[in-house]
Amino acid sequence: MHGRPRKAYKPEEEAASAAKAAKLRSLQFQFMSNHHNKIYTKEAVDLSTKLLEINPEAYTAWNYRKLAVEDKLSRIESDPDLVKTILDEELTVVESALRQNFKSYGAWHHRKWVLGKGHSSVGNELRLLDKFQKLDTRNFHAWNYRRFVVELTNRSEQDELQYTDAMIGSDFSNYSAWHNRSVLLSSLLARKADGFLPNKKIPDEYKLVQNAIFTDEDDQSGWFYHLWLLDQTVNVETPLLTSSWPSHGSRINLSAGCLNDSFSESGSFPLILYFDQAVGGVSSSTVTIDTELKGNEDLVWEPVSKKNSQVSCVWVARLKYISSEPCFGKEYKVKVKIGNSPGIVSSRGCNFSASYEFVFTAHVHDTVEESSQEGIVSWTDGFDIWDAESKDLNALTTLDRSNAQMDSKWRQEAIAEEIDLFRELPDSKIGKLTLARLLMAKAMISDDAVKGVHYNEILELYKDLMALDSSHYQYYKDVHSVALLRKVTSSTEDLSGHLFRCRNMNNSVCLRLNNLSLSRIASVEKLLFVQMLDLSHNELHSTEGLGNATSLLPKSESQQNPEFFSSGLTQTSETAESVGCFTQPHR
Amino acid sequence: MLASSSGVIKELPSMTVSQREQFLVLNDVVFRIYSDFDACDIATQKFTYNRLFLIYKQLDYLTNGLRQRGPSLSSLDANRPWLCYWIIHSIALLGESVDDDLESNTIDFLGRCQLAHLGTSYAAVNTLVTLGIDKALSSIDRWVLDVGEMDVRACYLAISIASILNIVDDEITRGGIGGEPGSEAHAGNTYCGLATMALITEVDRLNLDSLMDWVVHQQGVEMGFHGRTNKLVDGCYTFWQVNLLFLFVSFIRLFMCFHEYRSSHEENAHDEDDLEDSDDDDSDENSNEGLLLPFSYHLRVRPVFDSLNLQRYVILCSMVLEGGLRNKPGKPRDFYHTGYCLSGLSVAQHAWSKDKDTPMNGDILGSYANHL
Repeated sequence: MHGRPRKAYKPEEEAASAAKAAKLRSLQFQFMSNHHNKIYTKEAVDLSTKLLEINPEAYTAWNYRKLAVEDKLSRIESDPDLVKTILDEELTVVESALRQNFKSYGAWHHRKWVLGKGHSSVGNELRLLDKFQKLDTRNFHAWNYRRFVVELTNRSEQDELQYTDAMIGSDFSNYSAWHNRSVLLSSLLARKADGFLPNKKIPDEYKLVQNAIFTDEDDQSGWFYHLWLLDQTVNVETPLLTSSWPSHGSRINLSAGCLNDSFSESGSFPLILYFDQAVGGVSSSTVTIDTELKGNEDLVWEPVSKKNSQVSCVWVARLKYISSEPCFGKEYKVKVKIGNSPGIVSSRGCNFSASYEFVFTAHVHDTVEESSQEGIVSWTDGFDIWDAESKDLNALTTLDRSNAQMDSKWRQEAIAEEIDLFRELPDSKIGKLTLARLLMAKAMISDDAVKGVHYNEILELYKDLMALDSSHYQYYKDVHSVALLRKVTSSTEDLSGHLFRCRNMNNSVCLRLNNLSLSRIASVEKLLFVQMLDLSHNELHSTEGLGNATSLLPKSESQQNPEFFSSGLTQTSETAESVGCFTQPHR
Repeated sequence: MLASSSGVIKELPSMTVSQREQFLVLNDVVFRIYSDFDACDIATQKFTYNRLFLIYKQLDYLTNGLRQRGPSLSSLDANRPWLCYWIIHSIALLGESVDDDLESNTIDFLGRCQLAHLGTSYAAVNTLVTLGIDKALSSIDRWVLDVGEMDVRACYLAISIASILNIVDDEITRGGIGGEPGSEAHAGNTYCGLATMALITEVDRLNLDSLMDWVVHQQGVEMGFHGRTNKLVDGCYTFWQVNLLFLFVSFIRLFMCFHEYRSSHEENAHDEDDLEDSDDDDSDENSNEGLLLPFSYHLRVRPVFDSLNLQRYVILCSMVLEGGLRNKPGKPRDFYHTGYCLSGLSVAQHAWSKDKDTPMNGDILGSYANHL
């Protein structure tokens, strides 16, 4: 068992132990025989008691006892006194086992099983728990059992909350108490119990945890609880749509006549939906398409995921556009409506509720056309700066804004208060990290004007932390990269500074993210419209998420030529030479 | 002074048992070990690393453990297959193998195991795999699965020995995973949870960013890992936590693609040559599927935890001179800790390299001979 000391034996002790072991083995043998032959006499059960006294971890003995109890109960015709006696006996055995080892999984489990039979008073159990709390306030078995008893006996969560109050009050470093508090609050807030509305309760909790944090900065408990609070402040459980391809207001070019283009080989193009968390239930009944393009009445939606997972952040369906009718430069509007009927559910069980609709135009033509040039300003090395007024970029931030509408006033206020508080803290690692996290949260729910400012401060903080706390250097570097990419994709101004058109590649839209010391990729969902991605001269060790985005977009034949891609990322600390090309349907 | 939520100011309480232990371990023991060590010259330091890491002492401790099934092991009867696994796995990590007699005795013993249970089945399977004897697997032809407590560990055990089981949808608490819904995040359970999700490729359901946040901050000031927030350091968590990070990193590993093709590493859940934990292979298998590198990269990436200092904790504080490893100074050695400290140490040594690359000199604390 974990943490149990083993003593070295002297010769006399050795002999005594050997005798003991022999006795134990004969006990076990007899026990196993009783178990296999389903013998539940008093002697047999007493034998199991003896075994458990020696070793509370003998799970087979606990199972045997369960069977014995079932057997006895079936014979006594529910005489309540008899039942009580039988179950009391079990509780006694558990108690003595726990006295031997109060972390025995088998013992606690058995007690839960007995309680499940509807016996013992809440008072009894709580008294027992108090005893164990005094021995070790972090005993998670005891805490788990407490939660079990509370649920079984319908004890009030408010009362339990007061209990955590008392525990925290007497020892603020008791993280188990803080944790239990978070479990209780989650439940109370979720069911909107009286006096438990997030806009009032969460700010109160911030005040409570501030005491702990500022009393002893080195104590982890308060900081982790604070992180949980931030989570509650920022996160919206309901799934949201973060982006789509084609995006709202965009125009795509589809060639009906070209046989070589594998993109149009199947006469269809992909429609991609990107959610902020893994969801299931995306289908033709939950997503409706309104268009004159024939043959799209019953679309098959598939999650982009490994193996057979039925949930994913990314879902794709193929829209047909080739028909028997001739089409010379015909334009089709496609209207996509999501969430009108229920059915899209996150993997945590929350429904996609806000219905959303977007429209794009599909331009079908017979031959491959040169796409019209847009707003070229000047050029360097074959890259032309792209016009920032483009409709694609607008679509990017529209979704952000509508998603941020959710009940944001109290959230913004709570975060603003915390930010002010933490700015006052002297140079402390955890203080800076918390401030950075708070600012990230604020940026996520702010409007465009202020976003840029916040991101700059965040990036400075992570740079400081990389220097202050070298143990976690790589972690801070990764988060810094994430923040940087969030910044780049947060507004049209920021993004347009990195967007170009590549002349050699049919004026494809190119996002240049070179020389940014990036170690991780993020915000991929914002980049679905990008046709080329330049990640050279960075320090990447991961392209998480890019796989999702690129795997489902078709590649035309000409772009499957291996030379077209550079030699990939080889990373040393000095240089990383690469241009990543992720092809997209021809526009 | 501490203000409670009701506004009453209270005195700071006297320390609880845990806090007192923490204080003692930190100030009296671990930091004294570190400062004594740092005060030595480089030659002495090197000598110390190597002296502690005497392979033959470790092997003595381990093989004696395997031979004896003495009286002092009576309380661990139910755990004998675990002992086999911890011991044999440790021996393999040290680059050695067991002699034939001992090997066949072990296989016999495992075949006779009557108290089969998910945990012991897992231990038995892994022991046999480590011994590299496929046909011995068929010697365990009867899996009697007792009904016991159902939690994250059980899922992991069951799935990793290829049974089909319903997934217990545990809540993810503050990034880590608890044993059952409502429980505190705990290293062992988090590892089991993540590994389970990896094996059934449902990792997308987890919030990996917040999991990373939780794990990274579980490396304590002593540089060893905690099992839970604000609890004590323990050598065995070197394995549970570091392997978590290793699994995590393999999900976000670099890949470039221009077409999909199936992994050639498929169906190879237990690579007999791989001395690291077999679950690394499982996760490799999953992340290799679908989108793949047509050519491999050898990338050296700084790990998100402090690998060298973690190794320092294990070698200076967990290793016992006479052989074996322990939780922390002051606690006795045992096979459980020997197994997991060594496993964790191995993963930490390989933290910079990708796949099965050998680590470079600088990644390993002490001489290269310490490489596991």
